[in-house]
Amino acid sequence: MADLLIQVHEVGGVAVLRPEGFINAHTVRQFEGALEALVHEGKYTILLDCGLLNYISSAGLGAIMGLIETVRENGGDIMLCNLQKNVFEIFDTLGFTQLYRVFATEGEALQRLNGTI
Amino acid sequence: MRTPAEPESFRLVIPSQTRYLNLVTGMAKRASIVAGMDDATSAKVSIAVDEAVTNVIVHAYSGEADHQVDIELRFMPAALEVHICHNGRAIRENEVVLPDPREYIKHPRKGGLGLLLMSRFMDEIRFIETGEGSECCMIKRVV
Repeated sequence: MADLLIQVHEVGGVAVLRPEGFINAHTVRQFEGALEALVHEGKYTILLDCGLLNYISSAGLGAIMGLIETVRENGGDIMLCNLQKNVFEIFDTLGFTQLYRVFATEGEALQRLNGTI
Repeated sequence: MRTPAEPESFRLVIPSQTRYLNLVTGMAKRASIVAGMDDATSAKVSIAVDEAVTNVIVHAYSGEADHQVDIELRFMPAALEVHICHNGRAIRENEVVLPDPREYIKHPRKGGLGLLLMSRFMDEIRFIETGEGSECCMIKRVV
């Protein structure tokens, strides 16, 4: 199996990006490329569904950080859902859970976002 | 042969290429479990090892793929020691500046997070220069 697989789908104006596997220095360009492609398409409301993400290193966090200003300047945001315990700890340890909205599930995120898009 | 005074240990020497990161982190995670850590703690050790080896590949060797990174795991009586050795540019302890997460949130930027994760997830980190090269030594105690 590849180190990282990425699926993207769209639900009611929200681009849902679902990484599966590991985001580290080896796979970060693939992850960053997928995020950048959404931004280039003008999709600024992005939900990262991390349910199948085994871990994310600082390289992956940097990729998210690198685009957050652009999406927010365009009225969008990057949000997180379905964080496994170890992935949540990485985000939380670095204070990212204060920077990004975190939802328990994709369904909850989409429901909450539905009224704001 | 290992003398009775020496800790049980094993080594993995990889080319300085990020495609081997998964191999190393998988080994570190399994070793942490063998050392007596739970799943959550072993996940933290594997992330710290990912960050440390990435630092060597990307910064110490500037991304050059034809060097080697030597990773040794030592099973101490109440801890796992991870020694990551290389011959690239040394990181000196007085050069290490950990970003303040509170400031980071106010002024987000790319980079600088790897060392912070290492320091938060491990109990001790030392950067050592030996006659043969440089070493990052990380210790996680088994509680």
